[in-house]
Amino acid sequence: MLLALPLVLRLWPAGDDGRSAADLRTAVLAGADQGWSGIAESSGGLALPETDQLGTIADLFSDRTRMRVWWRGPEDHRIDVVTATGETDLRRTAAGRWTWDYQSDRAGWTPAAGITGFALPAATDLLPSTLTRRLLSEADDGELSRIGSARVAGRAALGLRLVPADPGASVARVDVWVDAETGWLPLQVQVFDQSTGTVPALDTRLLEVDPTAPDPAVIAFRPPPSADIRSDDPLGLLRDVADRLPDVAFPDTLAGLPRRDVTGAPPSIGLYGRGVTLLAVIPLPGRAAAELRRAADADPAAVHDQLGSRLTAGPIGILLTGAPRNAYLLTGTVTPETLAQAALALPGLGSQR
Amino acid sequence: MIVVELRKLFRRPRTWVTIAVLNLLPIIVAVLLVLTDLAPRPGQGPAFLSAVLTNGALFPLAALAIVLPLFLPIAVAVIAGDSVAGEAQAGTLRYLIARPVGRTRLLVAKLLAVLVFVLVTVVVVAVVGYLVGVTLFEAEPAAGTSVSGTTLTVQELLVRTGYAVGYVTVSMCGVAAFALCFSTFTDSPLAAALGALAVLVASSLLFTLDAASPIAPYLPTRYWLAFVDFFRDPILWRDIVRGLALQGVYVVVLLGVAWANFTTKDVTS
Repeated sequence: MLLALPLVLRLWPAGDDGRSAADLRTAVLAGADQGWSGIAESSGGLALPETDQLGTIADLFSDRTRMRVWWRGPEDHRIDVVTATGETDLRRTAAGRWTWDYQSDRAGWTPAAGITGFALPAATDLLPSTLTRRLLSEADDGELSRIGSARVAGRAALGLRLVPADPGASVARVDVWVDAETGWLPLQVQVFDQSTGTVPALDTRLLEVDPTAPDPAVIAFRPPPSADIRSDDPLGLLRDVADRLPDVAFPDTLAGLPRRDVTGAPPSIGLYGRGVTLLAVIPLPGRAAAELRRAADADPAAVHDQLGSRLTAGPIGILLTGAPRNAYLLTGTVTPETLAQAALALPGLGSQR
Repeated sequence: MIVVELRKLFRRPRTWVTIAVLNLLPIIVAVLLVLTDLAPRPGQGPAFLSAVLTNGALFPLAALAIVLPLFLPIAVAVIAGDSVAGEAQAGTLRYLIARPVGRTRLLVAKLLAVLVFVLVTVVVVAVVGYLVGVTLFEAEPAAGTSVSGTTLTVQELLVRTGYAVGYVTVSMCGVAAFALCFSTFTDSPLAAALGALAVLVASSLLFTLDAASPIAPYLPTRYWLAFVDFFRDPILWRDIVRGLALQGVYVVVLLGVAWANFTTKDVTS
């Protein structure tokens, strides 16, 4: 009976108040300033290529990540990534952002002025609430539908499905489960790609929820005296790379995807797409291209053809293309065909083929 | 009856040899750390081990983390596996139950003796760890740093260390229950101890497999390392509560089986 209890709780019918998909999306997007706390867990099956510099990011999308969350707003929250032997924390306040790594005894500080909309992926991006807002913020109403109700974290949740209309999208659908009681708190997000069928490529959910604003004292942080305190750069290694990237005149559209502006993004990186269909184009200096080509050659999952070397990790496609002195890295949530089409339209490449 | 069992257990030299050997590994680790000044890289090595280089007062926790995955369960399984099967092998079990004390009382006395052994062992590991830590490393007796980077007062650190010692002790109750249960089925203490260890090795292996994730919450070793959660700020109670409840279920079920078998068994040796 004890063993069956969790299963019974999960299968217990959840009520549905018949809210429309558009209303649910509006409520979720408006809920970013609402306070809550809880425990979240994300699990990803995205086998991204492992490199020394991007190891943490690859782990984020391929492993199980458990997070404690205290959320008072986009500029007032704390997220602890909990591991068996330590934790890595992020404390965001109006003044800026602290990061804390227990095992390295290291604290990092970024003033608010240095935080932009463009940064390397972090655990924060995997919270059901932040991921849902990111995925739904640019969705058309026609792409959204309701999918009934279910129980998540022991609470009734309303289902919302996003099916991208763009033919170049590698994401087949996104299922979001929103807390029925609050109406604005996403409890679970599942991202399915075109090939995985019923198994999500990325699944992030809350395990415990308290839908009340946490005490501000729990978010405040002062580094311990023994800590090694550094200045953080949200762009991380991208900053070094961006400074060395060659200038390229990117076209306004690429494979049918419109170019987009993101605050803080280096101008040498071309960003395209909308909603869950995104593409980044990075022109590579000769040495970086050679290093990446060697890494791709050593990866047994890479496919090599006339256009270059391709890798696929769930809905994320990666293409390394071009000659050593005129190379590009294309990556995003687009189909392999879209990646190839985009590559052929890049300056200096289309005329070669 | 309980006093008799405790006296018997703690008068055996092998009990104290077991405890001494258990303390040897943390001491070796501490000496190597001092000599090389090489802490484990982040994400590797036992919990708290990288922190002891800056605060030796945390070494009791590192010592517990060192012995918890293997050495402590082996010690508990050997002692608990010996409790009934050892008497049977020595031919003294039939004389024990011939006394007017009842088999249930005898079983409870054996269990309590094992639990006291577990508590004594864990406390000795913690105390020896503290002495080694403050002797070999720089210690910050005035305060400590939580895993979340906040400052813990001496009182908070002591209370949380006490919680951790208690939690590790309870975590070993499941091992003791497995070994004691198997001990009522066999006349070989070695078979009982190995049976319990086989369960623990299988549990640890299954915990690493994604395919076994639906049963992971019920594995006996699943929440052992949750004692680290006492040192987060605020304390993360989720896994601690689940760990205590899970050990409780294992102890109740396995002791029920042990009791049902032992009270109806035909004892000939």
